[in-house]
Amino acid sequence: MPPELLRMIIASVIVVAFVFLNAMILGYMERKVSAHIQRRPGLMEVGPHGILQLLIDGIKLIGKQLIVPEGSNRFLFRLAPLLSFAPCVLPFVVIPFSKKLQIVSMDISLIFILAMTSINVIAILVAGWASNNKYSLFGTFRSVAQAVSYEIPMLLSLLSIIFMTSTFSLQGIVAAQKYYWFILVQPLAFIIYFISGMAETNRAPFDMPEAESELTAGFHTEYSGMGFSFFFLAEYANMFTVCSIATVLFLGGWKGIPLPLGDFTGIVWFMLKVYGLLFVMIWIRWTYPRVRFDQLMSFCWKYLIPFALVNLLITAVVVKLI
Amino acid sequence: MHPATEKLVTALSEQSIVLNECDYAERGYHFEIDLDAGRLREFAQCMLEQEMYLVFVGGLHVDPAIEIIYQFASYDRLCRLVLRVVVDSNNAIPTISDIYQGANWHERETRDFYGVIFIDHPNLVPLILAEEDVDLKPLLKNSDNIKESAAVRWVTVEEQPETDEKADTD
Amino acid sequence: METAQQNLEPATDIPHDNRYYLNMGPQHPSTHGVLRVLLEMDGEYVIDPQPVLGYGHRMQEKMAEHKNWMAFMPNTGRMDYAAALPYNHGYVALFERICGIEVPARAEYIRVITSELNRIVSHHLWIGAMLLDMGAFTPILYTFDDREQVLDILEDVTGSRLTYCYFRVGGVCKDIDDNFVEKTRAFIKRQRERFDVYNKLVTGNIIFIKRTEGVGVISLDMARRYGVTGPVLRGSGIAYDVRKNEPYSVYPKFDFDIPTGQNGDSYDRYLVRLEEIEQSLRIIEQALDQLPDGPFLAKVPKKLKMPTGDSSFAVEAARGELTYYLVSGGGDIPYRLKIRVPSYSNLSVLPELCQGMLLSDLVAAMGSMDLVIPEIDR
Repeated sequence: MPPELLRMIIASVIVVAFVFLNAMILGYMERKVSAHIQRRPGLMEVGPHGILQLLIDGIKLIGKQLIVPEGSNRFLFRLAPLLSFAPCVLPFVVIPFSKKLQIVSMDISLIFILAMTSINVIAILVAGWASNNKYSLFGTFRSVAQAVSYEIPMLLSLLSIIFMTSTFSLQGIVAAQKYYWFILVQPLAFIIYFISGMAETNRAPFDMPEAESELTAGFHTEYSGMGFSFFFLAEYANMFTVCSIATVLFLGGWKGIPLPLGDFTGIVWFMLKVYGLLFVMIWIRWTYPRVRFDQLMSFCWKYLIPFALVNLLITAVVVKLI
Repeated sequence: MHPATEKLVTALSEQSIVLNECDYAERGYHFEIDLDAGRLREFAQCMLEQEMYLVFVGGLHVDPAIEIIYQFASYDRLCRLVLRVVVDSNNAIPTISDIYQGANWHERETRDFYGVIFIDHPNLVPLILAEEDVDLKPLLKNSDNIKESAAVRWVTVEEQPETDEKADTD
Repeated sequence: METAQQNLEPATDIPHDNRYYLNMGPQHPSTHGVLRVLLEMDGEYVIDPQPVLGYGHRMQEKMAEHKNWMAFMPNTGRMDYAAALPYNHGYVALFERICGIEVPARAEYIRVITSELNRIVSHHLWIGAMLLDMGAFTPILYTFDDREQVLDILEDVTGSRLTYCYFRVGGVCKDIDDNFVEKTRAFIKRQRERFDVYNKLVTGNIIFIKRTEGVGVISLDMARRYGVTGPVLRGSGIAYDVRKNEPYSVYPKFDFDIPTGQNGDSYDRYLVRLEEIEQSLRIIEQALDQLPDGPFLAKVPKKLKMPTGDSSFAVEAARGELTYYLVSGGGDIPYRLKIRVPSYSNLSVLPELCQGMLLSDLVAAMGSMDLVIPEIDR
């Protein structure tokens, strides 16, 4: 077997395992952080301080039956979770965890990642439609409108960085942050990107599609067992992807103060930065109430997009002059 | 008496409706009126113009006929009013839900509990009871515990020697 | 389901006729109790919301016709479970009024202190629940933390944490001691510091303001036609509070304000309730300072002899004006007891108020009305 292929296979297995591990760690972090914000201990039962809770949750969910509602399109109903999960795993293939820890290095890595996150919209549409449930349909409409709208400021803010670096390759962008991190010169783009990222992954305060008190659970109301857990995994994988793009483009990627760990210093710094951003996402979720849907849309179209365009224009002018 | 309450008394007496003043410490309301069903709607219209709000509409099953009790009060002055109206022979009474929209639900509930029909009510379907229990009429009394209308009213002091004494001390 | 609302047109000109029915409840994370709201929707807009009641109906008024006052006392605590003491108060005070029984001063003060503590507890529960409806998961835990302090205090003296049955005709059933007074003063001090937390987390929160400002405006005319009372009415600027307008018990001895709002929207109703907590703290402080010694329960015959006639008693419950109306034919069992519940009239505004609103706004408006369904259904 050619060593390249072997390397690819091992890397793919590691990536999928990492996605599951990430969901576990992130799920645990979310529950513990939210508990401490709410002045209660949180997970304590299963394992010391509840460490094993998410693992047991996963095993429990595997054991449950996926109940297909009557009158729903059975094929689409079963397809939707897979359609949601698969494009969420693929971006992990191109994320640069360290100088040499990147499974595939492409010249257009960034475009690849953005394309994959857009496929998620189709999965939500399929899930809501196939559920044969008014509440799911409601959640789907809201979710699709939200996801499609917030992609625009996301792209525009990322384009500002691309103008500066002239490359879509993620390793190239990290390499271009040799002397300073890009957040210092593009703070507005960072804020716009972070907000759009939260809206893309349906996180509060933009979680109208899953608004529990209005619509029960939105587009994944009818899913149980592994179907639900695939949506859950996809959401956490998406969060990780959004934060890692933010890290790579704005916070210097895997660069940091050298540690005596050889090539692995890169991954340590990368993980620290990504999990720091994830902590901020979780913090915001548990502090703010939900934004009303029309306010959400007007915020995107009337505020984020004009600001992102202005930022892009200024970047273009400055890059041309320097 | 508050000037607005005087205005109310005057407005009602212009329509020849007599208010009986009551002892607030004993009864908790200031005026009591007995009307017949035909004058109910103009009374309610007058109440709305005098800026009173509807506290509740309730039923009372006495011999010989069910009485509907309305209580009105005011937001800006201390004035509480109890109105009693007897239903007609078909167990029906006009609605006031186009004047006071809050009466809509009160009347539906009274109909649930007593079976009283409110004429011209826009949506007289059961509110608190289930649709199947329209004929249940739970608050109707049966023949061994029903009382007469006079038996549940305050005993008024008629021409007694005490009233003459009272007039002397005034 | 037709409603005769001839004077109202649909609020928006929606070009295509995509109407459908959506059912909110009776089991639903948003409604506060078992309430079903049948919504006729057009896209995201609510064309006609119709509450469907009766899921929690227990026929309390019939039970009152077969029980003497002591047997019915526990029922009064179970109608509005979030603020049960004013319900107790209205019921016993009604019998005291009709029989002419005088309550000792200490008992009246104890009644006022415990009722106001109960009002604070109820408002805290409301703040947490309303924010939970809007998607903020944290404030409810903070308000429940504050509630715990009060529930411990009240449990010591009444024996219950939620459904109180503490008042008796002639007074209260157990006296308060120095421990109670100390703990209450400590609570007052702590609560005043907590207002800062709520103001930062909720009152000044831009997302909360945007969700509630201008939503569900109730005008004076609408309020009068429906009989709206309580903080819902005071949010619209009308200073009607039974404790000031029709004083009962020892409320005339205390100095407190009636907070009102200006615009009548959901945000004003929130501000009114937050301010009412502060006013309740003032009342409790003054009552503790003025607390007299003496008996806490008057001597009342075991079998009350009521005169024939009718009587009415109004109290300010946490949600509005609660009126008990009693018709008696002599003896000790009422002939008819009518319980007029504040949330009933407040909820009846919903069809007119929420026509043409977005679904999220309906959730915010309904949340701001502070409904407890068991009291509506009785």
